[in-house]
Amino acid sequence: MTAAIEFKHVKKDFNGNNVIPDLNLTVQQGELFVLVGTSGSGKTTSLKMINRLEPLTSGEIRVNDQDATTVPVRDLRWDMGYVLQQIALFPTMTVAQNIAVIPEMKGTPKKEINQTIDELLDEVGLDPEVYRNRMPDELSGGEQQRIGILRAIASKPSIVLMDEPFSALDPLSRQQLQDLVLTLHQRYDNTIVFVTHDMSEALKLGDRIGVMRHGQLLQCDTPTAIAQHPINDFVRDFFGASRAKNVYDIYIGRVGLVQGYLKQKPAVADGRIQRLDAQATLRTSFEALTNHDYLAITDDKVVQGYLDRQTVMAYLSEHEND
Amino acid sequence: MQTLIQTFMERRGDLLTALWQHLGISIAALVIAMIIAIPLAIWAVRRPKMAEGLLQLTSVLQTIPSLALLGLLIPLVGIGTVPAVIALVIYALLPIFQNTYLGISEIDESIEEAADAFGMSRMRKLLKVEIPIALPQIISGIRTALVLIIGTATLAALIGAGGLGTFIMLGIDRNDTSLLLIGAISSALLAIVLSALVRWFQTAKPKQALTVFAVIVALLGGGGAYSVYANRTETITIAGKLGSEPEILINMYKDLIEANDTHVKVALKPNFGKTTFLFSALKHNQIDIYPEFTGSVLETLVKGNNPKSMTANETYQLAKQRLAKQDQLSLLKPMAYNNTYALAVTKKFKKDHQLSTISDLTQVESLLKPGMTLEFIDRDDGLKGLKKAYNLDVTAQSMEPALRYQAISQGRINLVDAYSTDSELRQYNLAILKDDKHFFPTYQGAPLMSTSFANKHPKVVKALNKLAGKISETDMQEMNYEVNVKNESAATVARNYLIKHGLLEGSN
Repeated sequence: MTAAIEFKHVKKDFNGNNVIPDLNLTVQQGELFVLVGTSGSGKTTSLKMINRLEPLTSGEIRVNDQDATTVPVRDLRWDMGYVLQQIALFPTMTVAQNIAVIPEMKGTPKKEINQTIDELLDEVGLDPEVYRNRMPDELSGGEQQRIGILRAIASKPSIVLMDEPFSALDPLSRQQLQDLVLTLHQRYDNTIVFVTHDMSEALKLGDRIGVMRHGQLLQCDTPTAIAQHPINDFVRDFFGASRAKNVYDIYIGRVGLVQGYLKQKPAVADGRIQRLDAQATLRTSFEALTNHDYLAITDDKVVQGYLDRQTVMAYLSEHEND
Repeated sequence: MQTLIQTFMERRGDLLTALWQHLGISIAALVIAMIIAIPLAIWAVRRPKMAEGLLQLTSVLQTIPSLALLGLLIPLVGIGTVPAVIALVIYALLPIFQNTYLGISEIDESIEEAADAFGMSRMRKLLKVEIPIALPQIISGIRTALVLIIGTATLAALIGAGGLGTFIMLGIDRNDTSLLLIGAISSALLAIVLSALVRWFQTAKPKQALTVFAVIVALLGGGGAYSVYANRTETITIAGKLGSEPEILINMYKDLIEANDTHVKVALKPNFGKTTFLFSALKHNQIDIYPEFTGSVLETLVKGNNPKSMTANETYQLAKQRLAKQDQLSLLKPMAYNNTYALAVTKKFKKDHQLSTISDLTQVESLLKPGMTLEFIDRDDGLKGLKKAYNLDVTAQSMEPALRYQAISQGRINLVDAYSTDSELRQYNLAILKDDKHFFPTYQGAPLMSTSFANKHPKVVKALNKLAGKISETDMQEMNYEVNVKNESAATVARNYLIKHGLLEGSN
């Protein structure tokens, strides 16, 4: 694997105050990397330094093995999608015109652009005939951010940056869009750097997660590793804080992450295994385990792993008093 | 109402010209103001401190009274269209600048960030994102400016730039409500129509809007270019002061000059302004000739003390000599009539109090309610000096020339200043009191032009000299009466006189 983005001793001051003392981080090509942290942790600043919306005070950021400051800023940004928390669709442009912003600047033939627009709209479940010529203010928040994502990926950039893209959306839209990001990531095989303050979102999306606090990268690892071996109390608490108030409302997927799934598919008849979506709560799993011996935890119908009664009970006993 | 329609029908042609001039001045001022204010505002968006200063500056400029601004511009750029357009541009700057600046600087920061993050160049961001978003606000600024300009442009007539203001000024001057209404209503209608057009721009598709705008500018530009092209031949511009008498005179000048030299075209600018405007215009070569009075020359236009009790010829010689020396101007030979100041009362008042001379007024001093023109009140050869010479103690109310006749006929005042050739003397049954102490200087009319112009155009001089010693006071009163009261055109009246007196062959 080669590095898509490398932070090397990156330092950032704002008006003489140091916000990022010394950041070192490598994001691999094709990776969905999530930067998570509380507000003021420096995660958004770090993201904006990648496409040079924020200049570095010192250090170096390498993009596709080139110092980002040596690449013409236009070329750098044209190959780097950007999705904003405020969505920020251009209000005077139609949906199609918004999506076409970068391809148009790149000089892509009009016919090709129009074809891409229709394909992309189809892909996110918006009928091109209906949506192509709508104005942004005629769309719901969730629909707007779908267009925001399409605008970022329309010219098939190798890297996409997402700055808390779903934090202003309702829970249902958020979940749908998270699934969409995973789908699109898989389809286009791009590198995504995703910033969020929501640990659940980080756990759901990230191939790897970087936890930031006060401009420092505390821990950078896979979701499972972070869940099972938090490096310090802050990471543990941050992880815990993103959990539901009541232990029985925990998502069953989290149990798998924390306790680890069974090593292999249990050698029992399929009738003894109950399929359960990762978003289902611990409470529903009790009923399933009353009649079945094992749970197959699925995410978007794909089995992530298997759990038995012992694993679920172990999680309960450990976390009941959190 | 009927007179209004009648006046409208008679003046259709003039109205169209005035409307065109008004539109031309207004659109020119608007386009120039846009060209200055919009880029300036865009530049200032990234410099908030400068923007603050510019906002202050444009606000201050807008508080200058329009008349004062026009006055200030005359010594710098003379008179006519240029100062009018400059003044209008200055007024239009604030609304356009302010709305453009606010429209762009109030755009959501996240939108700006998105545009930057997609690698838009500064120019592309401006054209594709910022201007489209700020457009409604920019256009509303342009509309405000437009309405302001069209209203203020009526003042352009004061400095000889023409437009609908000429109707309003002429209406006030001739006490003709129909003219005044036509001017005012046209100006208001123009503002409404153009404002609606600009509002249409806001909703129209950019391409349509741009096309229509280009067509309007091209039409006006084409009209301007055509008038330049049409004026290619030697054109002599003759202007006249406000009122019927100067207009009759300049029509005579035109007929005489064109009859004498077929290669010359004469353009007339009647009701061009007051004495000092015309004098300044002549010195700046914006006009070539205008009729001036010997007395006015000595009193207001040249420096030097004036000996008292000069004969008409002495007055002319002194005026001619001083003009030649001080301003290199030539005053040709004067006509016969003496259009001097006079004091007039109603015939009844004269009879009731047995008045015949100005000296007699001292006996009825306590009964006098004088209403006089501001110019007369303020002049040393007007009321100021008169009070001393006749030992008269009165205070006059200042009035526009045309209004004072109406006031005396309604009995609100009982003593007015007048010119000895005014048609209103006859119209309102007024009588002139004899200037028994020979206080008023002689005012004989004569063509005034630069000496270099006179040297280059001997044929013109010869043509104009045909009027020397012609036209008596009664002739002039009669002609004024025909124009002011009988509503005949000054051109017809002038031509009839010339033909009748054998100065012009009566062919056409």
